[in-house]
Amino acid sequence: MKNINFRITVIFLLISLVLVGCTPPAAPELESETHEPASASDLLEEEFLSQPTRFTIQADDDLQPSLIGLYDALYPGEIPGFVASGGDLIATRLEPAFDGRPYVPSWFLPGSALIPQDENPDVRDFIDFALSPDGQQILIELGELPSVVTLKDQAGNALKIQQPVRRVISAYGPSTAIVYSINAGDRLVAASYLGARDPQGAAAMERIDPRFTTLVGDDYFSQSEFNLEQAATLEPDLVIGGARSGWADSVSQLGIQVFLMEAETPDQLKEAMLLVGQLFGPHAHAQAQAWVAYFDWVIENTTIDTAHLTQPERVRVLFTGTEPLRVASGAMYQTDIIQAAGGISVSAELSGYWNDINLEQVAIWDPDVIIVPPYGGASVSAITDSLEWQILPAVQAEKVYRMPKLVVPWDTPAPDSVLGIIWMAGRLNPGLTSLDCGEEAAYFYNTFYNYTISGDEIAAICTIE
Amino acid sequence: MPPSARSSKKTTHTNKRLTVGLILILPVALLIISLTLGRYDINAFNVLRVLLSPIFPEAAAGIPEIARQLILQIRVPRILAALLIGASFGATGTAFQAIFKNPLVDSNILGVTSGAGFGAAVAILLMRSAWQVQLSAFVFGLLAVSLSFFGSRLYKATPLLVLTLMGILVGSLFNSLTSLLKYVADPLDSLPAITFWLLGSLTSITWQNIPALFVITMAGLVFLWLIRWRLNILSLGDDEAKSLGIDPIRMKLIIIMFATLMTAVAVSVSGVIGWVGLVIPHAGRLIVGPDHKRLLPVSVGLGAAFMILIDNIARTLLPGEIPLGVLTGLIGVPLLIVLLRQKRTGW
Repeated sequence: MKNINFRITVIFLLISLVLVGCTPPAAPELESETHEPASASDLLEEEFLSQPTRFTIQADDDLQPSLIGLYDALYPGEIPGFVASGGDLIATRLEPAFDGRPYVPSWFLPGSALIPQDENPDVRDFIDFALSPDGQQILIELGELPSVVTLKDQAGNALKIQQPVRRVISAYGPSTAIVYSINAGDRLVAASYLGARDPQGAAAMERIDPRFTTLVGDDYFSQSEFNLEQAATLEPDLVIGGARSGWADSVSQLGIQVFLMEAETPDQLKEAMLLVGQLFGPHAHAQAQAWVAYFDWVIENTTIDTAHLTQPERVRVLFTGTEPLRVASGAMYQTDIIQAAGGISVSAELSGYWNDINLEQVAIWDPDVIIVPPYGGASVSAITDSLEWQILPAVQAEKVYRMPKLVVPWDTPAPDSVLGIIWMAGRLNPGLTSLDCGEEAAYFYNTFYNYTISGDEIAAICTIE
Repeated sequence: MPPSARSSKKTTHTNKRLTVGLILILPVALLIISLTLGRYDINAFNVLRVLLSPIFPEAAAGIPEIARQLILQIRVPRILAALLIGASFGATGTAFQAIFKNPLVDSNILGVTSGAGFGAAVAILLMRSAWQVQLSAFVFGLLAVSLSFFGSRLYKATPLLVLTLMGILVGSLFNSLTSLLKYVADPLDSLPAITFWLLGSLTSITWQNIPALFVITMAGLVFLWLIRWRLNILSLGDDEAKSLGIDPIRMKLIIIMFATLMTAVAVSVSGVIGWVGLVIPHAGRLIVGPDHKRLLPVSVGLGAAFMILIDNIARTLLPGEIPLGVLTGLIGVPLLIVLLRQKRTGW
């Protein structure tokens, strides 16, 4: 009795299998009706590969194992379709070209890039995945990327950072800007921001990163304080802070890796970019290298543009702080910006940080131009409306300007300061400068913040009236 | 009394009057000298020409306009302010020491400076303009003293002791609040501004600050001068004052009111400058003794002269301003030790 039942079931199953096998596939027919008819070559290729693929990849032979690994992780059970030419995606070894305004392809391995050839959304997804921590994890398992990055942070601590870094707290404004500019902003779980407290800055930051309002953590994490309880709930792999943060030891004791950066000079900023770049995989590192190349290129340009100026011909600049009588010392980054732009900082003789001075000292310096910063309530009118400041020729000539910013103030030691140099060069020597503020701002935000800056935004920040 | 003793007493009396006169002239002399001092090099003759130029425009012919403006718009109001503030601190310190019968108090005994510091810190944190910072400092200075005063009314017996205690309490309260504000202030931006204000500076003085400072300070000085005898009586104690026909409570209230107004207006433009109000009256006592008839003008003169001196150093020594609160102690303490070595008089 049992035996008969079993046989009937087997026969029934076999018949239904045959039936299913003979039925013409309905779904593909419907699809081919909605899509444009497939070309002959597509059909041939499909037949050749004997299975449908999402897109084709034209890859160097030695890169194929990595790509198969990534593809399998993103689309389980599927195999990428490699083609010899005309692929939707090219994966190849490239000699990085870091000159002028570097174009940064998607570096999924050091020296190997993914270059999309069309607008296929699957290609985009695949590239994003290859650059993501998950993609990085696959490549680590395949032995293509290191599982630990060993380096020394800018406070001199030797660090061994486990890869990939998935969850980061950036407790220092400049380091947050760096993380964004190397395309690792999506790994932030909380951050202290520079220049995002005023409404315009906050709005622009939200356009750059819609997660901004949930990430902003200035109340918990800053140079001066670090809320360990709050940090623990965020389960970070890594905390990045300023070198003068007093809380670094207590965070380390929690078993969380801490990277400390210090960027008060252009060289330190370049070093910080390259070091932080190494923490987030090959693409981030390439972004950092591209930024350094761009920064050097800009300085080279502004230097060449103003090289013929003699010392007396150079524009004398006073860079004031949050109050008119607080000025930048020679040790500050603002002085480097002024020098790179071909000017002279009149207050360079001062040491330390911001210095409080009196108007008599300003009169002795007799600057040609006065620059106020875009933060802390500093304003041009605080100087131009003051009866006392009217004694200065620069104020009488209305040569008082405000440093621009999108989010991060362009005078602070952060990636955006490269635009500060360009703006300053244009401001000080309008006829001489070869770089255009708007053009460079568009390139910079597109390349480093992955943000398409609008014409209105450029007009608002780059207009030199 | 032997004739020699009488003549020597007369000589001492004349000497003291001469001393008082000299000390009162001192700040005026310093004021004139100070106008020629500054990081911008202008010689004394040209300074004189510039000073005459508002009346005789041709006097300043050939002098750069920037130099002219520098003296008229920057140096003159700043040095005047130093003079007025120093005089104010000297006088109010003397008055407070008299009515509290305590040589260790100054005008901050009722919390006026702490209140003003808090008021300024609030305004700086809210990124207000200079005049708003000053107004806020002034209002909170007065508020702190009012709190001390009405707080002391809660407890009827030994009013002076309770008032002192309340002053210390209110002062601590406002100091704590200021610390809180400093803690939350942006370390790159408002914190240095608050710290700088709390150390005192005359760098932002303009002509706009002078009228209020001048009127209130002069009114207070004239008032204290008119009641200089009563200060002597009050410093003896309440019972003695009553027996001599003075209502000590009412008198003290009026003095506190004037002194508080004077201190609040001074602190609101200068920031917190400690030490002067405490030590200048002692210096005065070392020179002319405890009689307020002489002590008051001497404290005014010494306070004004000391403040002009200190501010000259603050504005000329380095390219950056040196906070006054740093200099008052650094320069005042050695000066006082010198005075102490030379004179040994009763308090």
